[in-house]
Amino acid sequence: MEPVASDSPISMTKHTNYFLLKLSGNLKDGTAEDYLKQNFPEMVKSGFDVIVNCTNITHISRGWLRALSATEKQVRENKKGLRLIRVPNSIQLTILNEGLSRILKSSNDLRDALLSLGLVTKLSLDVGFINPFLSATLNVLKVLVAVEARAGSIFMKKSPELTGDISGVIGLISDSFNGNVTITFPEKTFVAFMSKIHGEVYTSILPEIADGAGEISNMIFGQAKIELNEQGYAIKTALPSIILGKNHHFSSGAQGLTIVVPFESPAGNFFVEICILDNAAVEAA
Amino acid sequence: MFDLETRILIVDDMGAMRKVISKMVKEMGFLNLCEAVDGDDAWAAISSSVPPIGLVISDLNMPHCSGQDLLLRIRADEQFKNLPFLMVTAESEGRYFSSALAAGVDGYVIKPFEKSDLGEKISNIYNKKCA
Repeated sequence: MEPVASDSPISMTKHTNYFLLKLSGNLKDGTAEDYLKQNFPEMVKSGFDVIVNCTNITHISRGWLRALSATEKQVRENKKGLRLIRVPNSIQLTILNEGLSRILKSSNDLRDALLSLGLVTKLSLDVGFINPFLSATLNVLKVLVAVEARAGSIFMKKSPELTGDISGVIGLISDSFNGNVTITFPEKTFVAFMSKIHGEVYTSILPEIADGAGEISNMIFGQAKIELNEQGYAIKTALPSIILGKNHHFSSGAQGLTIVVPFESPAGNFFVEICILDNAAVEAA
Repeated sequence: MFDLETRILIVDDMGAMRKVISKMVKEMGFLNLCEAVDGDDAWAAISSSVPPIGLVISDLNMPHCSGQDLLLRIRADEQFKNLPFLMVTAESEGRYFSSALAAGVDGYVIKPFEKSDLGEKISNIYNKKCA
């Protein structure tokens, strides 16, 4: 699999309570007319908030600025909001020079916009943030371990009651939040997975297989990150680390929010924790 | 260019991943393998290996000296600039691929992958170098 670039200047995704519009390249007036005919009516009719990911815009015409301003006006009449995210400096300058910065408001990234529009709180996560980790976990285990895992019911971690014997941890770092993703295995599950991966029989967590937990977390993170950054989260690259210890647990979510996804598989159970702490909350703490 | 005697250098900071790649290439019939834990370690191996390294399979994100740094170092060296280099990484965002391509990578495979994916990339490099 190699990355494939899309040629379309407009892509629109409908989420539970907002539209995510992604605009790319040189936005000429002609494509603004297409947008006003094809995408605009559906967004306005829905009564949803609108978030516009601008990260790949290289130029924006006056026609497009008018189209976005018209969208903002309609959305505001529905008592909803419009936010631009990941706006390049040159585009921000154009908006400023056209006197539209009060109408076309910007947020750093998707999390920041969702908070600003009141679609998530500092103690909640958009489902669009969790699903990429869920699907990446299933896919990584299918390809790497040849195991079909199944996700159980997601829940919010209230106390460090979940324990495991080995974990792979990787940092979630962005401008508006920090946190980590952790995959935790009981020894039995991890040993079964590594035996399948290496084609050798292990009966305990040997030093030569321990960093496999970090590699699995790295692959899950890598797959989820591309989807999240496509949405506009702007998560940065990080290196994984490993925690080894019988029945260890984490308290990394003490100030923030930790979501737990339990998984079952024929080789044993394990769980994935997604912990985030908004930077504003860090500053307030 | 590649025969089964080709010496392959596998570079990854994670021992478990080096073992996965070693197992796959051994199953393809390549038995002359060596390993390095980061770009610095790999450069030392490339500079001193007898017989010479014929193919580098390297992770991208590693502490100290990344796979990208290693690639740039190889391409800047008169003696080793044509050494075939396959990047193996969990980073599937286009910008990483573009940077590696600009630096002269010969192939790019995204983790997790199956033996057939790795074999196909090695064959592609072979065909490209022989063309």
